[in-house]
Amino acid sequence: MYSEKVMEHFSNPRNAGVIENADGIGEVGNPVCGDMMAFYIKVKDDKLTDVKFKTFGCVAAIAVSNIVSEMAKGKTLQEAKSITKKTVAKALDGLPKEKMHCSNLGAKALAEAIKDYEKKKYG
Amino acid sequence: MKRVYLDHASATPVREEVIEAMLPYFDRHFGNPSTVYDMGIKIKQVIEEQRAKVAKLISAKQQEIIFTSSGAEANNLAIKGVALARQKKGKHIIISAIEHHSVLNSARFFERMDFEVTFLPVDEYGLVDPGRLSRAIRSDTILVSIMHANNEIGTIQPISELSAICRDKGVLFHTDAVASVGNISVDVNALNVDLLSLSGVSIGAPKGIGVLYFRNNLRLMPLIHGGIQESGRRGGTENVPGIVGLGKASELALSELTDKIDYLQELRNLLVAGIQERIESVKLTGHPDRRLPGHASFCIEAIEGEALIYMLNQEGICANTGSACASKALKTSPVLVAIGTPPDLAQGSIVFTMDSSNKIEEIEYVLEKLCLAVEKLRSLSPLWRREEGK
Amino acid sequence: MKFVEKQPADDTLDLVCRMCPLHLLEPGDKLKCLKKGQVLEVLTDYDGALEDIPEWCQKYGQEFMGIEEDEDCYKLYIKKVK
Repeated sequence: MYSEKVMEHFSNPRNAGVIENADGIGEVGNPVCGDMMAFYIKVKDDKLTDVKFKTFGCVAAIAVSNIVSEMAKGKTLQEAKSITKKTVAKALDGLPKEKMHCSNLGAKALAEAIKDYEKKKYG
Repeated sequence: MKRVYLDHASATPVREEVIEAMLPYFDRHFGNPSTVYDMGIKIKQVIEEQRAKVAKLISAKQQEIIFTSSGAEANNLAIKGVALARQKKGKHIIISAIEHHSVLNSARFFERMDFEVTFLPVDEYGLVDPGRLSRAIRSDTILVSIMHANNEIGTIQPISELSAICRDKGVLFHTDAVASVGNISVDVNALNVDLLSLSGVSIGAPKGIGVLYFRNNLRLMPLIHGGIQESGRRGGTENVPGIVGLGKASELALSELTDKIDYLQELRNLLVAGIQERIESVKLTGHPDRRLPGHASFCIEAIEGEALIYMLNQEGICANTGSACASKALKTSPVLVAIGTPPDLAQGSIVFTMDSSNKIEEIEYVLEKLCLAVEKLRSLSPLWRREEGK
Repeated sequence: MKFVEKQPADDTLDLVCRMCPLHLLEPGDKLKCLKKGQVLEVLTDYDGALEDIPEWCQKYGQEFMGIEEDEDCYKLYIKKVK
C-alpha cells in the first residue's frame, strides 16, 4: 500500500519532538478522527531554523509529518508557505487515495505554526 | 526474519494432512459430481462423506449441512434465504449491533424492501441482554441473528439463553459461528439454533469454502439457483477439493479441540498478563472470561492502530486492528463504538488471535516488540503525557 | 386435476423455495423409505410440479391422489403402490 519513501519516513521520524519556547505552534486534526499533528517552529531572519512535530496517527500521518518538517527546515517562510498537500504527496512518491487527507493535514499543521508565529510577531 | 503470526481470526494455515487429502481431487479425481459415470458417482459419495464429518463437528445431521463458498455466503443465505421464504409471515428481523458485515448488510438490504431491522445494543463487554431481545421480538419477527463469538473483541454470547427466547416465541434463530467453530465447543443442539454459519478459513481448511447448517429441512430461498447441487439449495458445481479439505479439517478440529482450548488459554493469559504488566494505560476489550480462548484484544491509549500494526510487521509480527485508519473506509470499528469505547481510544485498537501453531517463545517475542513499538509511538504522540520521574 | 381435502399423510417432503428438477428427484427417494400403501405429502410452490408430478406417478407406477392448495404452497399426495 505504501511507497518505500513513506515507510522510510515512518520508520525514521527524525524530527519528532517538541521545541521549548517555540516561535510558532500549529495544532490540527482530532484524535477522534484518528489524526492529530502538532508542529513547532523556530524562526530566525525569516528562515525556519528548526521544525519539530508530534503526531498521533497512522503510517501516512507520521510519514507526512516527518517529510513536511524536513521540507520546511532551512527554508524561508515564503518557501515554507508553498508546501501543499500535492508537493508533500509527490515528495513521498504518492499516497493511497484514502490517505491523501494526511498530506493535507501536514501542510495545514505547518501553515498554522507559521500563522501562529506571524500573529505573535505582528499581532 | 522469522514470522510470528497472531491473526488467526483472519486466516489459519492449511495443514499438511488437509492439503494431502485435497490433492487427488485436483487432477486424479477431478470429475463433476453431477455426472453419471463412475468417477462422478464416486466423487458425489466423497462429498457426502465430508458432509458427515462437518456435521459431526457441530453435532448436526448430515442432511442439515449446505456447502457454500464462505462464511459470508452462509450468512447471506441464512438471512436472505429465511427472509425471502418467510416474508408473508412477517417482515421484522433482529440482529445485534456487533454482527459481521455479511449479516449487517444482508439485513440492511431488506430495509429497502419494507422490512424493519432492529439492531440490539450490547453492553460494555459486547454481550446482548436476553431481556432486551425478548422485548424486541414482535408478532411479525421472523428471524434473529446473533453471532456466537465476536472476532474483534472475543466475547462469547449466551446463545442457548437467547435462542430459547426465540424458540418460545416461534422465531427462527441464526448464529454466525465463524469465529467460534474450532476454538470452542459448538453443538447446534446445546446452542438450540435453527441456522449456523461456519467458514473453512477459521479451522485450517482452504479459503473458498463455508457451511450453513439449517435445522430440520427448514425453508430457505436459494440465493444461487442452479441445478440439483446441495439438493437445490445452492447451485453451482461443487468446490470438491475445498469440501474435502473442510472435511479433513473438521475431523482434526474435533479431535484436537480440548487440548487446543487449554493451550490457547495458556498462551493468551501469558500475553494479556504481559501486556497489562508492561504497558500502562491499556484496556482489554471484550469480556474478561467469556471470551475465545486464544483471543487478546486491547485499546492502547495515545497511539494509532495502523501505525502499531506496521511497526510489528517490520518485526515479522502479524496482528490486526479495528482502528479507523486501517479500514479502507476510514470508519472506526462499529464493534468498538457499540461497546462504548471512546472514539480516540478506539483508534489504538490491536487484536491478537492465536492458534495451536503458536509457541510460548513467540509470546515473549511479541511482548518485547510490542512494548518497544508502543514506546516509540507514544514518544511521537501529542496525546501522551508522561509524569516526571516515571 | 384431482382435488383432495385434509388428506392424511405418513410423511412430508417440503420442496417449497426449491425449483425444478428437485420435485422429480426427491419424491422417488422419499417413497423408498415408505411402505406400500403409505402416503407421501409433497409441498411445493413450483407451478410446473402440478403437471410434472402426476406424470411422474404415471411413469413410475405410483398413485397420484390429488392436490390441495394451501396458503403459501401446493400440497400433492402420492400413495406408494410399488
